[in-house]
Amino acid sequence: MLSIKNLHASVEGEEILKGINLEIKAGEVHAIMGPNGSGKSTLSQVLAGNETFEVTQGEISLNGENLLDLETEERAREGIFLAFQYPVEIPGVSNLQFLRTAVNAMRTHRGETEMNAAEFMKLAKEVSKQVDLDPAFLKRGVNEGFSGGEKKRNEILQALLLQPKLAILDETDSGLDIDALQVVSKGVNALRAEDRAILMVTHYQRLLNHIVPDHVHVLAGGRIVKSGGRELALELEERGYGWLGVKDEEATPSAAS
Amino acid sequence: MKPAPTISSAFLEPGGQSLPAPLLELRKQRGTALVDMPLPTRKTENWKYSSRHLKLTDELASTLPATGKDGYSLSIPGYRVVFHNGVMIPEASDFPDLDGIRIQRFADLDDDEAAGLAERLDNTLDTRAVQMARLNSARFEDGLYIQLDKEAVLDQPLFIVHEVTGTASGSAYPRIYVDAARHSQITVVEEYLSSGEEPVMVDTVTEFVLADGAQVTNVRLVMEGENVQHIGATGVRQAANSRFESHCVGFGGPLRRHDLQVRLEGEGGECKLNGVVVTQGKQHYDNHTSIEHVAAHCDSEETYRNIAADESHAVFNGRIHIHEDAQKSNANMNNKNLLLSTGAEIDTKPELEIYADDVKCAHGATIGQLDRISLFYLVSRGIGRREANTLLTMAFINELVEQIPVQAVKDAAQLRLNEFFDQTFQEA
Repeated sequence: MLSIKNLHASVEGEEILKGINLEIKAGEVHAIMGPNGSGKSTLSQVLAGNETFEVTQGEISLNGENLLDLETEERAREGIFLAFQYPVEIPGVSNLQFLRTAVNAMRTHRGETEMNAAEFMKLAKEVSKQVDLDPAFLKRGVNEGFSGGEKKRNEILQALLLQPKLAILDETDSGLDIDALQVVSKGVNALRAEDRAILMVTHYQRLLNHIVPDHVHVLAGGRIVKSGGRELALELEERGYGWLGVKDEEATPSAAS
Repeated sequence: MKPAPTISSAFLEPGGQSLPAPLLELRKQRGTALVDMPLPTRKTENWKYSSRHLKLTDELASTLPATGKDGYSLSIPGYRVVFHNGVMIPEASDFPDLDGIRIQRFADLDDDEAAGLAERLDNTLDTRAVQMARLNSARFEDGLYIQLDKEAVLDQPLFIVHEVTGTASGSAYPRIYVDAARHSQITVVEEYLSSGEEPVMVDTVTEFVLADGAQVTNVRLVMEGENVQHIGATGVRQAANSRFESHCVGFGGPLRRHDLQVRLEGEGGECKLNGVVVTQGKQHYDNHTSIEHVAAHCDSEETYRNIAADESHAVFNGRIHIHEDAQKSNANMNNKNLLLSTGAEIDTKPELEIYADDVKCAHGATIGQLDRISLFYLVSRGIGRREANTLLTMAFINELVEQIPVQAVKDAAQLRLNEFFDQTFQEA
């Protein structure tokens, strides 16, 4: 489904990604782990099309289509979804209006009719329940005054509404207490499907206890330095990143789990 | 040194023949006083940014003929008064004959009423600061005098539609005077429209006098075309416990200028001034507001938002003057500005003069652009650029648009805003 070949990307002239290769098939869940500053978030942002990052070399394709030719909104319509590490607060735009506009943009792209306000309200309320978010949050400004956990649930709510082909979850577990982590994980697991791939970017292994990945990759210094199965995450938890010859400025992953 | 330019004598031709004698007399006096009136220049502080957009050519001096044959096919709910080229058109107007409320055109006033009005016209304005209102006083051909007896309540908004037609060059000088007695209530909507292509100037003055406990809401929608220089002044005097609300929504033109002056003269008075300005192309819009806290225990709240696209220019000058005896005044002024292009310019100046020592007075002004991260967030959900920019720009003014108390104005403003968004924002 997603194919990344020799991807190089830089920001303000500094190269962050230095030749990423990654293949993800439909139905698979991949986890990318790595220390801070390894390029994990950059990879997520580049996949979504953030123009702050310049792709200097390499290819990204989604089901054979060259993603690098597409604008951010076109990538989203082709099925790329990024759950933000720091979801943006937009006062003055209601969450409901935002969600309906997004869903209708997708529907229009697929040649379907737009949902009217009443139809959408019904759908949004149902999906809110799935992520344990009070429907009152639909009426507030986008993420406005939401707690960290509420923002993350609002991201998963969007993923469930937009039904992407590839969902990229950027540090979705960060800042969550154990209850919120379970709710969010439940939402992500509800996304798992044969025709959908999930890419989880995380510093810590604890999320992987709830959402079990098929493949784990270690990103360090802008390259994938090791790939393996689920057991690789467990090994990282036990041994840290040091044995891979990778420096981590922070504590070893296990310290925070 | 070159002497400051003065107003052309072409602007001082006699007219106003349909006015009752006392008003005609007043007009003549005001005209005489205008001879050699210096025009605002770059060095005139309150016209610093706008004087170069004020073009008083002799062609503009002629009074536009009021044929009453144009426009006003607007579907306006409720009561309406139509002015065409500064003159009221009775056939197009439709307003109530209610107990305690008199709505009369100047031409229909008897001499006693006209004499009473003539004594009070201009009383709400500091005409040194609003030079162009003086030209209106010397040139008005007609006007509307609204009187509310005590406790009279107008049950629906009164729409006053000011339309000018630029089939030939000229100017129009509409004039409104509202006298709201104790505990009376009225909502007045002023809508400024135009048709035609030739250069036209609209120089308009609206005055509100609120007695104790009166409640007046003024909605002002400025939507004239690219051929129209619009210069407006609104003067307000408030007695004790009265409340005045103003909602101005304006779209730019070669020159748009509005001076809004409010005097809180009795304890317990409140005013709320909201403004939204949108400019594009090479348009220019200048809002000058002044709130005088003369009496103690009054509240004022002012919120203005400017949005400037392309190479347009918006100006906001907000003055708050708290007099020595105005203890326990509560004044709040906020002006936020959004630049949609690198060629646009916005100048904002809060001007606070505080002579009392026990007051609360807050002000804030910001100038910024649309937030790139917010935009990325929206488009990353598949929302198109045009729509994402529109959502973010609407978010900037939503709060003020929502507060407009008249749905028909909200709808008209939204339609015009949508045109602006279509012209300003492109898909990637």
